[in-house]
Amino acid sequence: MNGIPLLSIMTWAPFVSAIIIMFCARHRPLLVRLTALAGASVSLVASLIVYVAYDKTMAGFQFHEQLALVPSLGINYLLAIDGMSALLALLTSIIIFAGVFASWTVKERGQEFYALLLLLVTGVYGVFVSLDLFVFFLFYEIAVLPMYLLIGIWGSSGFVKPQGIFGKAMGRTGVGTKEYAAMKLTLYLLFGSAFILVGILALYAEAGSHSFSIIALQQVQFDPTVQKWVFLAFYIGFGILAGIWPLHTWSPDGHASAPTAVSMLHAGVLMKLGAYGVVRLGMGMLPDGMAYWAFLVGTIACINIVYGALSAMAQTDLKYVIAYSSVSHMGVVMLGAATMNVVGLNGAVFQMFAHGIMTGLFFALVGLVYEKAHSRAIFSMGGFGTMMPGIATAFTIAGLSSLGLPATAGFIAEFMTFLGAWSSAHPWWLFPGVIGAFLTAVYVLRVTKQIFWSTQSPDPHFAHLPDAQGPEWAALGILTATLVIFGVAPWIAVGTIDTATTPLIATLPKVAGASLGLLR
Amino acid sequence: MTFDIGMPMIPEAALFGLMVLVLLIGLIQRPASPALIGWLTFIGFAGTFGLTFFAREGATLFSGSFANDSLAIFSKKLFVASAALSVLGSLTLRQGSFQRRAAEYHFVLIASVLGMLVLASARELILLFVSFELMSIPLYVLTGFVKRQDAAPEAALKFFLVGTASSAVIVYGISFIIGVTGSTDLAAIPTALVSNDPMMLLGMTLLLAGLGFKIAAFPFHMWAPDTYEAASTPFVAWLAVAPKAAGFIAIIRLYVEGVGAATLVWMPVVAAVAGMTIITGNLMAIPQHNIKRLLAYSGIAHIGYMLVGLAALSANGIAMVLFYLVAYLFGNMGAFFVVEAVARSENSEEIDAFKGLAQRSPLLALAMLVFLLSLGGIPFVAGFWAKLYVFLAAIDRGMYGLVFLGAVLTVVALYYYLLVARRMYIEAPVRTERVQVPTLLGVVIFICILGVVGMGAWPRPWVDATQHAAASVFAAPSASTK
Repeated sequence: MNGIPLLSIMTWAPFVSAIIIMFCARHRPLLVRLTALAGASVSLVASLIVYVAYDKTMAGFQFHEQLALVPSLGINYLLAIDGMSALLALLTSIIIFAGVFASWTVKERGQEFYALLLLLVTGVYGVFVSLDLFVFFLFYEIAVLPMYLLIGIWGSSGFVKPQGIFGKAMGRTGVGTKEYAAMKLTLYLLFGSAFILVGILALYAEAGSHSFSIIALQQVQFDPTVQKWVFLAFYIGFGILAGIWPLHTWSPDGHASAPTAVSMLHAGVLMKLGAYGVVRLGMGMLPDGMAYWAFLVGTIACINIVYGALSAMAQTDLKYVIAYSSVSHMGVVMLGAATMNVVGLNGAVFQMFAHGIMTGLFFALVGLVYEKAHSRAIFSMGGFGTMMPGIATAFTIAGLSSLGLPATAGFIAEFMTFLGAWSSAHPWWLFPGVIGAFLTAVYVLRVTKQIFWSTQSPDPHFAHLPDAQGPEWAALGILTATLVIFGVAPWIAVGTIDTATTPLIATLPKVAGASLGLLR
Repeated sequence: MTFDIGMPMIPEAALFGLMVLVLLIGLIQRPASPALIGWLTFIGFAGTFGLTFFAREGATLFSGSFANDSLAIFSKKLFVASAALSVLGSLTLRQGSFQRRAAEYHFVLIASVLGMLVLASARELILLFVSFELMSIPLYVLTGFVKRQDAAPEAALKFFLVGTASSAVIVYGISFIIGVTGSTDLAAIPTALVSNDPMMLLGMTLLLAGLGFKIAAFPFHMWAPDTYEAASTPFVAWLAVAPKAAGFIAIIRLYVEGVGAATLVWMPVVAAVAGMTIITGNLMAIPQHNIKRLLAYSGIAHIGYMLVGLAALSANGIAMVLFYLVAYLFGNMGAFFVVEAVARSENSEEIDAFKGLAQRSPLLALAMLVFLLSLGGIPFVAGFWAKLYVFLAAIDRGMYGLVFLGAVLTVVALYYYLLVARRMYIEAPVRTERVQVPTLLGVVIFICILGVVGMGAWPRPWVDATQHAAASVFAAPSASTK
């Protein structure tokens, strides 16, 4: 558009502000926050412009930018965006913008905190907009690694007491502490990236065209055996980040231990990065591989939905409830992808967005509650609704979206996904999905009632708690509003998503499925 | 023959002059001023580094036994530059023996670098071996240089015994090769290899084992941690990089250059050694408490990664090994210099000495973090590209298993690097005052940071340079590359 490199601006603005914070804003907390806010705002504006200016009549990748990095090896800095990545970039912008407000009160070493947070965001943007596999991977690694320090330094240790037959052995690992969670998360995700790397290099070598461009590689007809194994590598690699069962265990620990803004960003955006990787790289380039493994992907997604919901029900730590609900909801995303039809995939992408906003809001609220009440133990708290009506309202809205109430974004996403599942090759996928939605209602409503709408807790610590203040309102307002707007006006997103998913589904081999006449 | 600056042997002659000069000063001025000797050596190295830029490609001497091809010139730059950095870093050493015997230290060091320079150009088995020894024997001396420390003589002796044994193996191997080919010329090896003579294979295998010792590849890696732990850190920074690079140059000369299709016999052997080296280095690094031992084991793992590139046995693979060497040079030397700074202030080389460094000296901690991330292969620092490039070269040959192994063990490597990062960033400091970094050490660390970040942000010129350097290896007509 007019030669302005909007995507680069969006991607690098947080990085630039991180550098400024690191070197120019020492020991000036307000300046640090304002610089971070400025970086996040630039990205937000850029992603809004891109989202609005994205030409829906002309599907495919737009806003191309190219710079030869290492021509002799076919590595280019190649950026472009389509409907799916435009929406996810917008999600990232909203979450980080709200995240900067939500972590306004970080006191200890705030400068380093914001610098690392913004560095992480650069990586996330980069993954969504890069069309060169090499650069994609480069950004992917950046999106993973700062997490270690962010959780390790600013995280909080939970109240997990290992029990059961492995209790003793687990106790020695320091499970529940932030150091443990940080290392576990980092190692899991890096382990996944090893799979991704091998997959990427295999595609490069098999294509033989000495190009890492996703567009170029999409044209290549890979051998079915290659497709099969490379898809599996991508599925495991990205699946770890997307929290697929049984490789999800880093997620509850990590998200529960992370500081507020980091949980928001990680559960809200980074897990989507995993799902995005499966869809973009796996489905986009390896249609036969996708068709081969679709049953596995969908079935594991079903396990995710039910298992995550059941685990969430069993938690007594508020943050763990939200963390496990993410595992459950990411199952919906993966289920939508596995349906291999347009409605289902649209649902998956919409769920990425809806769940990102929703879980971001949840973690922001949990952070606020913890900050005011210094407790995450659900059953010791009670009756906060009268003291913090704003937080209580926002929490309830997020909860309703989580269980898929109409007029919230969560409803649209789950409805489309389940519709897709019913018309897929394995219609029974619908039932675990619906059971998951039911279980979600159970744990979300129970937690909401206990903390906010039950009788006042007798504990004197919880006697006089303030509501959200100042910048915190901004975070809550933005996220709640987005959740409702996209719930009542889903066409803002669906049309855009459609331009990306329809061509993608068209490349997949046709699968037999129950036709409801609703599908094109 | 007319004299000009692009002639072969000019840098070598300059270094030789420097060596004699340092020796003379040491004899005349007693005790020699360490600052004078140190700066003189540094300037000498810097000058030699400059001279290598004038070296003319393709020039030969002594009827072809000494040739300056692009690989030789590239590696000479690498050797001299790393030695210059090491000297600069050691200028601030305050240990007694460095004060009193500065001339000896630098004389021996220059001799070793001279050996490397000759090695880089050697096209003849005897010259190759002699220059290899000229490089190695000073290293034993330098390892034991701080002789008052208990560990130093032990480490030096260990290094010496292992080193000379491996030299013996090399000579033994060379004797078979000369016996089969009837010539000491390296160019005779390819034709003899194609004939599949068992004696030839035996000779080449022995040679590979001997060189494996020098580069500390599995199963010949045991000497590295002890040596690194005992020797002075600025020297170790160089020891961990330059002699390994020299070993790789020798391997490339012997096994890859001009050999063409016959090379492929070695692919599974090198791949197996690479895999085992990566596994051993990375796993053994985990339980280490001493940061120098940790870096030593991680260095072994890095040798494994370079061997992955070598196992590809393609022009691209060689180029990527060279790229890896440069990335490793900056990353590893930088890490060792930070260790030196911390160790000097804390009097401890334990990893625990790094506790809370981020709060005491944020910049020093950041530098260490960047070096560790580069060694771990994280984007925007040199190591990332290095790892990916060797993987890329290997996957071009279809070595999926090896690449997968390497990629998974990178995660293990990041685990122990992150444990150091955890000490620096997450744990609380024991003492609160800043770590005093001598200016020169700071300068060296800064140069390494520039190298690591520069290569990471804009790798293209380096890739082009290494590809140019590797091109000469496969210039021979019999070469087949993919």
